[in-house]
Amino acid sequence: MKIIVMKFGGTSIGTGENIRNVANIVRNSSKKGDKVVVVVSALAGVTNQLIHEAEELTKGKEGRIQEFVKELTEKHLQTIDIAIENKKLKEETKHSAKKIIEELEKILIGICYVGELTLKTKDQVLSFGERLAALIVSATLRDYNLESQYFTGKEAGIVTDSKFGEANPLMNFTTHQVIERIKPLLKKNVVPVITGFIVANQDGVLTTLGRGGSDYTATILGVALDVDEVWIWTDVDGIMTSDPKIILDAKTLTGLSYGEAAEMAIFGAKAMHPRALEPVIKKHIPVRIRNVFNPKNHGTLISEGAKVESKEVVKAIALITDVSMINIRGAGMVGAPGSYAKIFRILGKNNINVMMVSTAVSEANISIIIRNNQLERAMSTLEIALLGRDLANKITSEDDVCVIAAMGANMKGSLGVASRIFSAVAKKKINIHMIAQGSSELNISFVVKERDGPIAVSAIHEEFNLNK
Amino acid sequence: MRIILIGYGVVGQSLTDIFLQRKIENLRNYGFNPKVVAITDRGGAAINIKGLDLKRIQSIKKREGTVAADSVFGHRQMSGQDIIQSIEAEIMIEATSTNITTGEPGISNIKTAFNTGKHVVTTNKGPLALSFPTLIELAEHNKVLLRFSGTVGGGTPILEFAKKCLEGDRIKEIHGILNGTTNYILTEMAEKKVTFEKALESAQKLGYAETNPAMDIDGLDSAAKVVIIGNWIMNKKFTLKDVDIIGIRDITLNALEIASKKGKRIKLIGSIDGKPTVAPKEIERNDPLCVNGVLNAVTFVSEYAGRETIIGRGAGGIETASAVLRDLLDIKHHLANKILS
Repeated sequence: MKIIVMKFGGTSIGTGENIRNVANIVRNSSKKGDKVVVVVSALAGVTNQLIHEAEELTKGKEGRIQEFVKELTEKHLQTIDIAIENKKLKEETKHSAKKIIEELEKILIGICYVGELTLKTKDQVLSFGERLAALIVSATLRDYNLESQYFTGKEAGIVTDSKFGEANPLMNFTTHQVIERIKPLLKKNVVPVITGFIVANQDGVLTTLGRGGSDYTATILGVALDVDEVWIWTDVDGIMTSDPKIILDAKTLTGLSYGEAAEMAIFGAKAMHPRALEPVIKKHIPVRIRNVFNPKNHGTLISEGAKVESKEVVKAIALITDVSMINIRGAGMVGAPGSYAKIFRILGKNNINVMMVSTAVSEANISIIIRNNQLERAMSTLEIALLGRDLANKITSEDDVCVIAAMGANMKGSLGVASRIFSAVAKKKINIHMIAQGSSELNISFVVKERDGPIAVSAIHEEFNLNK
Repeated sequence: MRIILIGYGVVGQSLTDIFLQRKIENLRNYGFNPKVVAITDRGGAAINIKGLDLKRIQSIKKREGTVAADSVFGHRQMSGQDIIQSIEAEIMIEATSTNITTGEPGISNIKTAFNTGKHVVTTNKGPLALSFPTLIELAEHNKVLLRFSGTVGGGTPILEFAKKCLEGDRIKEIHGILNGTTNYILTEMAEKKVTFEKALESAQKLGYAETNPAMDIDGLDSAAKVVIIGNWIMNKKFTLKDVDIIGIRDITLNALEIASKKGKRIKLIGSIDGKPTVAPKEIERNDPLCVNGVLNAVTFVSEYAGRETIIGRGAGGIETASAVLRDLLDIKHHLANKILS
């Protein structure tokens, strides 16, 4: 018998059919004697709709509320119709869903009249997506003859600080409460369904976990209940060696270390946010990424010992597009303490996130990678602050570049990795514009022209036999 | 530095000329790299957040009459307000034509720019004449800068001279010939003995006067400048309605003749000496203030430095555009200091 936290994302429970599929997965584990704790996100698209609606309402368009509420009600009732077969259970669930939406309607009217949306209120509004999803998934489990009860993260006992929009868990307090409230249910073979993302501070005011979202709820619960594994169910087989859209024969990785998984956050939504991994790293609880539409596949296991399984130094290659490179040149920077600090302070003050940096020991120039949509602001501010004052004499930018990141824990201490990577790229006659390797040695990143990106990724993928 | 240019008339076009001609000097000497991200005129707007190709925009303006005719970057439906609201930039240049009754669209444009965190350079006198104290307060409140060198004296640095060169001294009085058109008319009448109507006609032929010359000859343009000088230099809070104004319509050849016999000239003088006024006055022919033709001149009477007079061309597209460039560089230095502090 194992205790497993299973998190299902928005697409996994996007339709009534998908929710039945989820219920089936949970039942199969239950039949094997495993105890399952379910964590759900809102139905696909609902979170964005809620945010959009709430923001629009600050402009005082009360008329829209009715239409929005109608649309939201229909969406959830239709889902219930398909997900649940038992007539009585179906009607009960529909009734509860309507009650929850009525509550939401009142809050929306409030936003409309007050004309503002604080982070605190926003968290409130957002919570309804997950609450509706938890209600429906729990009822569907009951339709599958499992005992089930649903909870908000707050009811389950997760307590955070009061940083609305991006709250941090108080782990010991949380553990104490979760054990008290959820553990007894598992003993009685009840499957708890808990809203992801939505939690509360010590006063019981709703908060949200921000980046990391529902995955974070899953790992927090995993640690609190000291479970055997946390499974993140998504719509791909796991974390892959590269983006399958670029590399047709990209493979699913069977095992990754926590460090590697954190590095791979830049792969985007398919990997876990490092913040969500934090709790399990300390407790050595393995996390498995699995495909809800292909449950036969065992997915990718993220755990402490996983790195030793692989012989190859490079495990995965990411291509990051929509980035720009800024080059700052000037003899004024040479040997002048604090000149780089100035550059980073200027960018920081303007909310521009620096993704990658590279400088030469000559100090006469520095290259920076930032997001494309921040380029104009970054350039303008840097020019205003640095040009004409002996700090820099030339600032240029290129918006047609991309970053390629090769990752793998075994890179650490291995000789010749960089040489293999760059030779593979050079053979394709691709020019490298910028290189960076952090001291963790988990990752070598470099910049090429955007048009050369896919070719370079594929060359490295081949060089390290990732398709084999 | 990203710039939104609202209004693409003579001044706006001269400014883009300067940007093109001085590109290298501006960058090398001042670290100033202007990127015009949007230009509007009566026909709509042209937008490119990466910076418009100014040569291309100029030729489209000449050929089609509006920048909105640009097939790639043109937007016929967008107003100045839309642009200021939605486009990110450090600076908004307000160069629409002056409306001395409502101040619009200038006032709204400036307020929206402040509200969205943009610094403003204006060559439009209307907003300042009608609500100078309000705009200064709003700029300070929003922590942005408001500059308007081009509104007084065209390219002649009248405001900067008083503000910077006479810093520390106390300016007691200011007298000035602040309008080139009326000065041209009065000069013509005195020298060529022609009637007011004839002189006005000649001014219109030469392009010095508008088809509707009321703003100049009724003294409103001079009065607007009196408001700007009084508020900015002497820190007096007043607007156009507080200025006593008499224009030059009733000046006869006879009156000019009498003055001439006394060794004097009649000039339209804007004064701040106690009460702000604009009126035709007799001044000594050898007073440095007594300039002829379209020239402007302003005399500052200060407690310690005494009388200083600054003389220069008071209008013209390229002259006014040069004042805008000064303002832009001034803002650039301020911003750089602020960012690095």
